Amino acid sequence: MSAAREAVLLPLIFLTVTLLAGVQLGPGVAFVPPSLFALVLGTMLLAALVRAGALAPDRLLHGSRSMLANANGMVVLVSLFGAASQVLAMLTPRSGLPLFFIDVFLFVLLVNTLVAQPDRVRLLRSLAVILGSALVLKFVVLAALSGPSGSRTARVLAALFDAATFGTITQEPQAPGAGYLAFFAIGLFLIGVGALPAARPYTGGAGLQTIPPR
Amino acid sequence: MKESVIRGSGLAASLAYAAVVAWLYATQPQTVAQVTGGFASIVGTYKVDPQAFADGLRFFRGNQFVEARAALLRADPAERDPQVQFYVAYAYYREGWGRLYSDDVLFGKGLAAVDQAIALAPGGRLAVDDPDLQMHSADELRAELQRGLVRDASDFNPLRVLGTRK
Repeated sequence: MSAAREAVLLPLIFLTVTLLAGVQLGPGVAFVPPSLFALVLGTMLLAALVRAGALAPDRLLHGSRSMLANANGMVVLVSLFGAASQVLAMLTPRSGLPLFFIDVFLFVLLVNTLVAQPDRVRLLRSLAVILGSALVLKFVVLAALSGPSGSRTARVLAALFDAATFGTITQEPQAPGAGYLAFFAIGLFLIGVGALPAARPYTGGAGLQTIPPR
Repeated sequence: MKESVIRGSGLAASLAYAAVVAWLYATQPQTVAQVTGGFASIVGTYKVDPQAFADGLRFFRGNQFVEARAALLRADPAERDPQVQFYVAYAYYREGWGRLYSDDVLFGKGLAAVDQAIALAPGGRLAVDDPDLQMHSADELRAELQRGLVRDASDFNPLRVLGTRK
């Protein structure tokens, strides 16, 4: 991996994602830090990346590297953790049953990914599907159920739905730009994850001697 | 370019960017003016617009409090100057003060503004030497605003109508 990618590009990408994913648009702009559970999910995502070989920590932090190079590697790892936690926090609904179910959904998917131990390409595909589906769920499906309706019929149906679910499904209305911002942040995050230093492929045990049959 | 130069400059830029992100999360600026003003005050280049401040004081002394706040906001768009924020809070106090009751909304906004002024003042101490005012320190103004927000038996004291606005 080139020095420019490690020292400039990856921190720039992950810090930008950390910034954008925390932005909550509304009457004003708020920067919302990740919840404790988002930090747990972020840790699991990092573990999954390492197990799948999509991230090789020894190529970022190692005794054989210079102090400056290790400092660059540390910045990449810390900013990756911040970005991962913030993206997962951004995709989680703010309240009610959707908050609970999406948290469980993300937790189970990440545990499954950890246990299945896919290779790098499959993990990146799986990550894109997880983040994409959570994006659609929060910013398309839930936003459509919670957004201000235009016609009277739609408002009546929304009120009936809200009453039938005891108000546990509907969320606070999203700002029009929130979905676009989330889409951009996820795209940037996936580009950054794809550019991480991957584990070197196993060479098939070169140098090992096979035991001759008796 | 030499690798160590790339790594060193990249590290410095990353740490600076991370500090900016952390600052944004910590201070929660609401407008672009607050962001730029915040950075300017960190490097010591932030300045209040003297003309707008003078306009604000003129409106304030003429009991035109809405106009005064508009001019003071123009003078200190990033809300980084303790003296301007003190006058903003005082404008809320004078507009919200009443003989029979005080306006809780305006007093609440005044309390937020004087808290901001105290937070910005060095050591949290702010005194304004203005003969037009009867309260010269942010602590007095804050206490007066807090008293106005509290509901107690003294609110029903008929002698309250004899009170004067400070």
